[in-house]
Amino acid sequence: MRNAGGYAFSFDVGGIRQEADTFTCFHCNKIVIVKPMCDPCELGGMCRLCEKMICPACVDLGKCDPVEKKLEREEAKYRALRSYGL
Amino acid sequence: MAKYSITNGSTSGGGTQQNMTTTYVGALIGLTSSSATPRRIKIYDVLIGTNGTPADNFVEWDISRVTVASTATFLAAAPLDPADAAAITLATVNSSTHGTITTGTNVFYVGVNQRASYRWVAAPGGELVAPATSANGFQLRARSGGYTGTATGTLHFEEQ
Repeated sequence: MRNAGGYAFSFDVGGIRQEADTFTCFHCNKIVIVKPMCDPCELGGMCRLCEKMICPACVDLGKCDPVEKKLEREEAKYRALRSYGL
Repeated sequence: MAKYSITNGSTSGGGTQQNMTTTYVGALIGLTSSSATPRRIKIYDVLIGTNGTPADNFVEWDISRVTVASTATFLAAAPLDPADAAAITLATVNSSTHGTITTGTNVFYVGVNQRASYRWVAAPGGELVAPATSANGFQLRARSGGYTGTATGTLHFEEQ
């Protein structure tokens, strides 16, 4: 995978190392393991609005709501509540 | 942006490693933002494995978002660069009960043979990120249908 968002590897019983690229869903922050030679449809897809890879669950939602925006919303809400003394 | 490491190993004051069960009961490691000065937590390296008698069992590993930390042993995360200040993020290890987890917020899930160890490393920009709000963060948990021993975990994270 070009420009993978991460890398996973395991050391099994015989010491054989299994490796796989991963990407982190840009909408929900979930890690998706890219199985070698798998069908691209099983991986999720690319959001045409933010131009980033997203997981199958977020593809089904059919909207663009990047995790960064979600974090900003939560932090803004938290800051507001703190400013009210709550 | 300082980087830190936290492990549930036999560190002084790190509590007792909990045995695995068929359900997610405790948490190996938890990371939550402090209420006074919350910072974003970015996990970029996860290392997991077991340290019991070797056997062929299936172990499921999970990292989920928490909104309330567990009440177990708090441990100071070690700065990877000794010149950095102490971590502000609150770290818990070897919790017998996990914190408050909203259903469907698991961001990392993998099934691994008990004999195997597993590592995931994020490329820059691919980290698991928690918001800079009080008590928000992540917990690493494990369960197994056959293995009833203890497990090990290490998380590397960045504060922002």
